[in-house]
Amino acid sequence: MRARQRWLFATILAATALVAAGCSGTSPDDEGGGDGGGELSWAIGGSEAAPGGVHREVAEMWNEENPDNPISIERLPDDAGEQRQQQSLELNAQESGFDVLGMDVIWTGEYAVNGWLESLEDVRGEIEEVTIPGAFLSATWEGELWAAPYNSNAGFLYYRTDLVDEAPTTWDEVVQVGMEVAEQENIAPFVGQGAQYEGMVVNFLEYYWGAGGEMFNEDASEVLWDNEIALEAVEFMAEANESGFYASGFNTFLEEESRNEFQSGKAVFMRNWPYVYGLASDKAESEIAGDFDIAPLPTFTGEGTISALGGFNNAVSAFSDNPEAAKEFVVWASTNEEVQMLLGESSLPPTMSSVYENLQDDPVMKLLGEVLPDAKPRPPAPTWNDISVTIQQEIFPAYNGEKDPQEAVEAVGAFLEESIQ
Amino acid sequence: MSATTVAERAPTVGGKKSLSDSALARFFLSPSVLVMALVAAFPIFYAIILSLYVYQGRLREGFGGLENYTEALSSSRFWDAVQATFIFTVSSVSAEFLIGLGFALIMRQVFIGRGITRASILVPWVIPTVIAAQLWYFMFSVTPGFVNYALGLDRFNWLGQPGWAMFSIVFADVWKTAPFVALLLLAGLQTIPDEMYESARVDGATTWQRFWYITMPLLKPAILVALLFRTIDALRVFDLPQVMTGGSFNTESLSILVQRYVVQTPNPGLGSALSTLTFIIVLIIGVLFVRALGRDFVLNVEDE
Repeated sequence: MRARQRWLFATILAATALVAAGCSGTSPDDEGGGDGGGELSWAIGGSEAAPGGVHREVAEMWNEENPDNPISIERLPDDAGEQRQQQSLELNAQESGFDVLGMDVIWTGEYAVNGWLESLEDVRGEIEEVTIPGAFLSATWEGELWAAPYNSNAGFLYYRTDLVDEAPTTWDEVVQVGMEVAEQENIAPFVGQGAQYEGMVVNFLEYYWGAGGEMFNEDASEVLWDNEIALEAVEFMAEANESGFYASGFNTFLEEESRNEFQSGKAVFMRNWPYVYGLASDKAESEIAGDFDIAPLPTFTGEGTISALGGFNNAVSAFSDNPEAAKEFVVWASTNEEVQMLLGESSLPPTMSSVYENLQDDPVMKLLGEVLPDAKPRPPAPTWNDISVTIQQEIFPAYNGEKDPQEAVEAVGAFLEESIQ
Repeated sequence: MSATTVAERAPTVGGKKSLSDSALARFFLSPSVLVMALVAAFPIFYAIILSLYVYQGRLREGFGGLENYTEALSSSRFWDAVQATFIFTVSSVSAEFLIGLGFALIMRQVFIGRGITRASILVPWVIPTVIAAQLWYFMFSVTPGFVNYALGLDRFNWLGQPGWAMFSIVFADVWKTAPFVALLLLAGLQTIPDEMYESARVDGATTWQRFWYITMPLLKPAILVALLFRTIDALRVFDLPQVMTGGSFNTESLSILVQRYVVQTPNPGLGSALSTLTFIIVLIIGVLFVRALGRDFVLNVEDE
């Protein structure tokens, strides 16, 4: 009888132990990176993080020079919002799975305020010296440097040179030419990023800014949101969607879907980032290699150009087991000319100013030189994520005819007011 | 809880010469009850506790009572999600049931290649849901547009308009889980003795009469089990809408809404309130099913 009791307690004990072991849990990322040795893991997303992508080449370059602290890429999803979610889950749990964080420029404030990053103040000088000012600013929050700029980004207007003589400079012209040519060729006039995600926010803001709108004043203490201008932008999008200026499926497209459509010859114009240039010029993959060109994004007035400033910065996770090596890596990737040249050659805009001088003959670099000075940052405030989600929830249904545009822009304005309080 | 009960009772029971069958069964079950309590009950109660606090972002501001629940229940987004979840559940479960029943009846017939037929019908069910979702996203998406190509449609925007977006998700779910329903129903079909069909045939019953008066009544328990599993599963749907539409065009399910408030724009209080509400909805429907199931078993016993 006592034996039976003992058996019972042993079972309960074993079961409890099992559960306890389950709870203490190991993160799936523990296998290689982080613990013990000098291995680093670099959590970054997008097509450049895929095998064969330029981030992989950069990692290989580092590994050749630093066999003691090799880095491996932890590939995140393509959608920036999902990348942020993956990182925030890891960081919120204070897990050490990611040593280096490939951060979209808009996350700096949030990550810094949450205490997820190691400060880079002590290496500020060497980074600031070689970096273009806009990109440098995007890695700071309240005056402190939290990340090392890695690549910058700006939107381009891609157009088919075999179908259009000259790049239009106003949106009205793009619509007019696009509709006309598209009808003749039986293809779509325009593709871009229209799905309900951060990319749509960027596309919307480029219309809004292009019509003269602003979100905040310089130090983000005052809301400058203009319902009239926002309404104009939303109505432009709704009209474009309704009339078929936006390709069928525009409202489900991310960067890669729009690239796929454009490079298989199914669209006249495209709004996309510079990375497409190299890929669309590749004859093996693209049906329009040699038949397209790039131009600054149009505005509504035809004056100047407006683009959202994008890009990625590398930061050191506050929970890294190997912060010293991680810091060395982020500084190296930001200040090594060879790395930055490699990015430039892959049509990923570098943040190092000297590269632009060296690659002057490159059409992408040349256009970036024109566009970047006017590119507008989305405020990298800790609340940016909430603002972006609000814009997605209001503007997306509005431009798809599912919600009253007036109500939508007012809701965004109200949320912006709320966000600075 | 159960640990202390066992500890208190064990000595007195141990004093007797032998344990009754049910007491022994309880002993043997107690470890699993304990594990269940830790794994299942703890998160539920923890979520309920979290849902009573008010948060600003990730920071707790204080006790709020039912504030999160009033906020959830008064937001149109919650009711939209409830509606979307129910539309998805009703349409996917009924389609899966009809198709699954058809599959099961086919698989029951003895013919050449039975093994291969069964195996191939089950293939979709073996594929992980996220992968199936990604696959169907590519199929329905305008680019590259396999579905449009197969149907000879030019550039139909399946995922980018209300109604069709939900249709695509339901379609993918039916493709994936009808085999599972078929498997459950097949198991039920195989318990029906062939003699019953034979004697019915002798009595001159038509195929339809044999199906309606023999197959259906005897299959009822299996049907209810299949419907219970599928309904509960469908009410918690996350992967398919998340991957295929991201919740746009009225496809935001309750689970997606919960994920939004737990991960995307974190608010642990509201997120927990929403997940508790989801839990309650699923629980109520589950209880209703189990009741129907239990009564049916009782009725069957009486009939015999």
